Amino acid sequence: MANFVQLVILGLLAGGVYVAVGVGFGLVWGVLNIVNLAHGGLVIVGGYITWQLFTALHLDPFLTLPVNAVALFVLGYALQRGVINRIIRAPLLFTFLLTFGLNLVIINILLLIFGSDFRSVTPTYSGQGLEFGSVVIPYVSLTSLGAALLLAAALAFILNRTRIGLAINAIAADRDAAQLVGIDLRHAYAVTFGLGAACAGVAGGLIAMIQAITPTAGEPYTLQAFVVVILGGLGRVSATVVGGLAFGLVEAFGQSIPGSGSVFANAIAFGLMVLVLVTRPQGLMGRLR
Amino acid sequence: MNESSSPHRPLQADLPLAGEVKPQLELLGVTKRFGGVAAVDGVNLRVGKGEILGIIGPNGAGKTTLLNCISGVFRLDGGDIRWEGASIAGMAPHRVARLGIGRTFQIVRPFGSMTARENAAIGALFGSSDARKGPKEAFEIADQVLELVGLKAKAGRPVAALTIPDRKRLEVARAVATRPHLLLLDEVMAGLNNVEIDEALDMVRTVHATGVTVLLIEHVMRVIVGICDRAIVLESGRVLAEGEPEVVLRDERVIQAYLGERYAKRLRASGDEDGTN
Repeated sequence: MANFVQLVILGLLAGGVYVAVGVGFGLVWGVLNIVNLAHGGLVIVGGYITWQLFTALHLDPFLTLPVNAVALFVLGYALQRGVINRIIRAPLLFTFLLTFGLNLVIINILLLIFGSDFRSVTPTYSGQGLEFGSVVIPYVSLTSLGAALLLAAALAFILNRTRIGLAINAIAADRDAAQLVGIDLRHAYAVTFGLGAACAGVAGGLIAMIQAITPTAGEPYTLQAFVVVILGGLGRVSATVVGGLAFGLVEAFGQSIPGSGSVFANAIAFGLMVLVLVTRPQGLMGRLR
Repeated sequence: MNESSSPHRPLQADLPLAGEVKPQLELLGVTKRFGGVAAVDGVNLRVGKGEILGIIGPNGAGKTTLLNCISGVFRLDGGDIRWEGASIAGMAPHRVARLGIGRTFQIVRPFGSMTARENAAIGALFGSSDARKGPKEAFEIADQVLELVGLKAKAGRPVAALTIPDRKRLEVARAVATRPHLLLLDEVMAGLNNVEIDEALDMVRTVHATGVTVLLIEHVMRVIVGICDRAIVLESGRVLAEGEPEVVLRDERVIQAYLGERYAKRLRASGDEDGTN
């Protein structure tokens, strides 16, 4: 029983990271119709910013998260405005190629700056946790989950309550009509991608506290974000939150099966995605249009 | 409302203008080609402030293309468009909208994931830049506009739950919420029954009464005769006739364009027998 509770807790805690990784990816996919293959690259950029600030300035890693968000927003805005906007009306394959290429560029720039060594962020409280009998709740994971939920709430607030958020909803619904009521498409697109990148940056900071990062460590996160968004359902932040937490739970239980282990993580993830696509194509929380 | 104090100098003396009004919108030789076909071919047009101008013409005459040229959706292949005297040719659609030129679509295009109120609020939130509003005020404007078009009771409903006439109202509401000085209406009455058309006419009159210039495309002749000060007839991208609606609709070239040469001849023959008309 204690083992079961422990697995549920660890699953939900791990899900926090997936929520953070998924929300930005889902936003860009839902609004811009871009499956952003550079998402994992942007996540790792965030990881390196956290590592750099932690190592050089001894900042608490959680305090670096707002810095990640701002820096990645600027990077994302510039990428969309300067590069991706040029092919926004092109077929899906072009955006695949472009974002795949951007991912390679990001990885190689990171290799030039930081090298290929493993880097990890280990604050003094890492490895500690709350203990209830045999059940342990690690501080870092718990705070990460809190930060991820805060991130999702902030994104939902921006999308539903602010001027630019309403513009983003409008362009997602009908970009031509949005333009004709006075919405600047290029700016709104760039803000959308910037917000997606900012979420990736925050996710990267959380990941750097949990595992060692290298410039090439981002690729699994692109895949996981893809699965999480499909799992929850495209188009709403709350759906991605459910998708992320569900993914964390499935992974935790999947890895606890004797003879399984982390080797099968991807197989479990994609098996689950296929299962959802077959049985409930709109996602766990999605609405049919 | 009028700004007729400044001396008015006619650029194209052959074009009649309703009253002695300085043109708010002026089209000079506007041309738009698709491949080798000129969908709009050298159209000259002046719209005075506060006018209601109707555009009619057979299918494929270039009416919607003309609206797309004005609202910046298409780049011109020739000619110029002037708004309050300044050229707006080549301007991005959102900039044209912010100048105060609102429009509706022939086939309604609401933001499907939102409620009627949210749709109208988006219009109020962006739109005319001389009256920019924050989210709270935008929703207040949305409520006013929905009342104006008769959608107040259905404000909270998602778009999917609205009937076709209501969606057309919403299309107008969203455009009006941008607080336009000029409203381009693309067949907002098409597909409505007689009662609904009367309601829609009242709606356009109400909007016009708030000081908005209206330029509307319509196939329903009752609408053209009922509310337009002036009508122009487009055919194959050119202006075929222009003037008072009743006069234009009796123009033989117009009848010919709509109904064919033989019908026009027959009509002329029957008209001769009557001795009048």
